[in-house]
Amino acid sequence: MSDHDTHSAHAHGPITRVGDIPSHDDHDDAGHGSGHDNHAGHGGIGKYLLVFVALCGLTTMSFLTYSPYWPWRNEPHVGWAFMMAVSCTKAMLVVLFFMHVFWEANWKYVLTIPAAMMAIFLALMLVPDIGLRNRMVSQERALHMARGSDVRLLEQAGEAKVLAEPAH
Amino acid sequence: MNASAISIQHDHDGHSGGHDDGHGHHGPVLQYQPGLPLTRGKLIMWLFLSTEIMFFAALLGSYVVLRFGAPVWPKPHHVHLSEPIGAFNTFVLICSSVTIVLALEFARANKAGVAKFWMLLTLLLGTLFLGVKGYEYQAKFSHGIYPQAPRGLIYEKPDLYYGSAVRARLGEPAIIDKLKELDDTPADQLSAEQVAARGRLQQIRKMVASPEQQAFDLAVVADQVMPLPTEGPGGSHDGGHGGHATGLNDIFPWLRLPAVIPGGNMWASTYFLLTGFHAVHVLVGLIVFTILLFYKLGPKQAGKIENAGLYWHFVDLVWIFLFPLLYLF
Repeated sequence: MSDHDTHSAHAHGPITRVGDIPSHDDHDDAGHGSGHDNHAGHGGIGKYLLVFVALCGLTTMSFLTYSPYWPWRNEPHVGWAFMMAVSCTKAMLVVLFFMHVFWEANWKYVLTIPAAMMAIFLALMLVPDIGLRNRMVSQERALHMARGSDVRLLEQAGEAKVLAEPAH
Repeated sequence: MNASAISIQHDHDGHSGGHDDGHGHHGPVLQYQPGLPLTRGKLIMWLFLSTEIMFFAALLGSYVVLRFGAPVWPKPHHVHLSEPIGAFNTFVLICSSVTIVLALEFARANKAGVAKFWMLLTLLLGTLFLGVKGYEYQAKFSHGIYPQAPRGLIYEKPDLYYGSAVRARLGEPAIIDKLKELDDTPADQLSAEQVAARGRLQQIRKMVASPEQQAFDLAVVADQVMPLPTEGPGGSHDGGHGGHATGLNDIFPWLRLPAVIPGGNMWASTYFLLTGFHAVHVLVGLIVFTILLFYKLGPKQAGKIENAGLYWHFVDLVWIFLFPLLYLF
């Protein structure tokens, strides 16, 4: 029974409980070298390939928004929301399986959650000064900054045949 | 190096003298080992990665905030971004994430040779990613898209300042000589495209010098120098664009006339900052893989491979967000 317990402790991940910390030397144990291809109990090449296929499929999905078959061409926000959802799914897959976080002990929350919250706050704190910087601008700046009308002007210039084609 | 977080130690020689602190002489002594229950290398890698999360969150956050706060932002094809190339690079990076994971698996299974093969493949895929990135950078540089003047040729709008910049460029002695040389070249020594472009260039020179210049004239000049490609997905690159998809800057590369991309300067700053920092991270990963290739990649090195892999997956993770944000938004 105790044998079985030791085995299952390894089977759920490299570290499953306090005091059971494998060092590098643990991997050298003769018992691990043979017949333990799915060492540490997680992963497995099949699982990784499955994640890989899912990632490729998701990349194709986000690329779909660029293709002529995307139905919401005139609604860019639909495409943006879709792509962010796809990206977050991909990121979750990479973090959970490739980075083995799915099988890690609870320390993963200690490191990732504060960093993720800081990341969100960092971005949010930029909104008032940077994101809304063009709500109120000086007249001079308003005069010189590019606007959507400039893009339309350039497009009109491209379509209008102002220049005479030289005779060949 | 990895003692238990809490171990119980029996203090047998407690009475042998020299201990004046007056505790811990009887029974088990709890020895507290501060730290998380994982190997030190991995802990440091994760701590580093959590700082990296914030680093890239700041960069990506600034990009998003700048982009959506801007009155106008160039479309990907305005700045010569190719979505298929970006998607290909995404695929390359995902493949390399799988190969490094396989290298770790085989190293743990004590198959050092196979592990080395996957590690080498990861290195090659990373190099391919950087190569494609370099090719993409070249496409930007060749259109005068740099983060800053004097190399950057991008103006925000076809206004008076743009007109005077074009005039200034056309008035440079070297360019005057080149233009004279071009005007004097017999038409049979030039390709049909060059002859047509020469005709347009001559008209543009008159337009920018004319005192009766209208705002629309400068837009025509900008469009001739470097048109904003009207590229539709899966559609033609030059359709409906007055018969010219390539600008005068493409046909006469020595010309290097100022070009107009509304919002192009801020775009270039963010694009080069984001992809540049990402590319530096890729480069660091490649150096680590190269060093690891000198080791026998058995179970003894599994910890090192795991840490290198964690870093590499993070680099992949950043690109997963960069690709849609830069290429598809």
